[in-house]
Amino acid sequence: MDNVITKSKDVTLLEILDRVLDKGVVISGDIVISLADVDLIYVGLKVLISSVETMERLRGAPFAGGQEEPN
Amino acid sequence: MQAAKRSRISRMGIYTYAIIDSNSKISSSINGLGGAVVYNIPYRNIGIVVSESEHVQDIAQEHILKHEEVVEKLMEDFTVLPMRFHTLFNREKDALLMMKEYCGDFRENLDRLRNKKEFGVRVIWPGDIKRNRIIDAYKKSNASAAMPDSSSVKSFVKEKFEEYKIDKEFEEEADKYIALIDNFFSRWACEKKIEKLKSENLLLNAFYLVEKEKEEDFKEAFERARDICICGDLKYLFSGPWPPYNFISLTKKTLHQRLSEADMFGRISPEQNLLDKGML
Repeated sequence: MDNVITKSKDVTLLEILDRVLDKGVVISGDIVISLADVDLIYVGLKVLISSVETMERLRGAPFAGGQEEPN
Repeated sequence: MQAAKRSRISRMGIYTYAIIDSNSKISSSINGLGGAVVYNIPYRNIGIVVSESEHVQDIAQEHILKHEEVVEKLMEDFTVLPMRFHTLFNREKDALLMMKEYCGDFRENLDRLRNKKEFGVRVIWPGDIKRNRIIDAYKKSNASAAMPDSSSVKSFVKEKFEEYKIDKEFEEEADKYIALIDNFFSRWACEKKIEKLKSENLLLNAFYLVEKEKEEDFKEAFERARDICICGDLKYLFSGPWPPYNFISLTKKTLHQRLSEADMFGRISPEQNLLDKGML
């Protein structure tokens, strides 16, 4: 992995965590309701290794606490 | 044995990495979480890049880095919308239903973000020292104009007002620095996101979306900013190029948003209802 990420960047793990755990396409729970057939499982919020700020923000998010348990 | 096998199968899912602007097969060989082969599931003229994965993986630093590695490899050949870490579906069919649901949003974002990359600029300042200076200045001016005041209510109000003035002055000073720094970097960016004073010493956490042909200019600009040290006693942290994590904007409303717009009895407005049914 190293080649891709660290070669040309002044990257810290925090920078990666802040993006990968907290940003990008976030599909939230409404899809479970709006499309009855879809069984969306999102467990990311339960398992964070993250900055305190990220954790605090995610606690307020719709899926905080992990409503969906993995089967 | 059969039961054990069934249980193992039921734990498998589809782990998603990114939406890409292609419905073709991925030509390069990429391995994702657990070494599984990464592949594209086409939907119309776009695709969602996935690999088979256990629903429950040990969540470790290496998995987070692997997710990012896959997205960055995809970024070499495609425009990407990275998925948030650990977004899983049970079956491909579910991922495709999600694509159907969000297809318009994904296309709009892919078009807007084509040939653009994200850069991060964090600026650290001695905020604690700055604030103490402001407080000292207030103390001095108050000492010279000290009036004995026995009313505790008055002194409480006065104290709160002073705290407010100190906060305001602190923020005004931060704004001046931020304006200078942001003006400098904005010249090379087509979009930006600015977070101010996320903590006392983190003056600025900024994200700039930069066109590919301006990428080198932006890097040089950062070097120059660091060398000439815009605004003196600041420390600059630079990162990028990144996939555009901070510039994805989905307009389709989430349940959370819809509920927050509902009235006190939980009723969603008729307009919203029609909108949900695709009639507006």
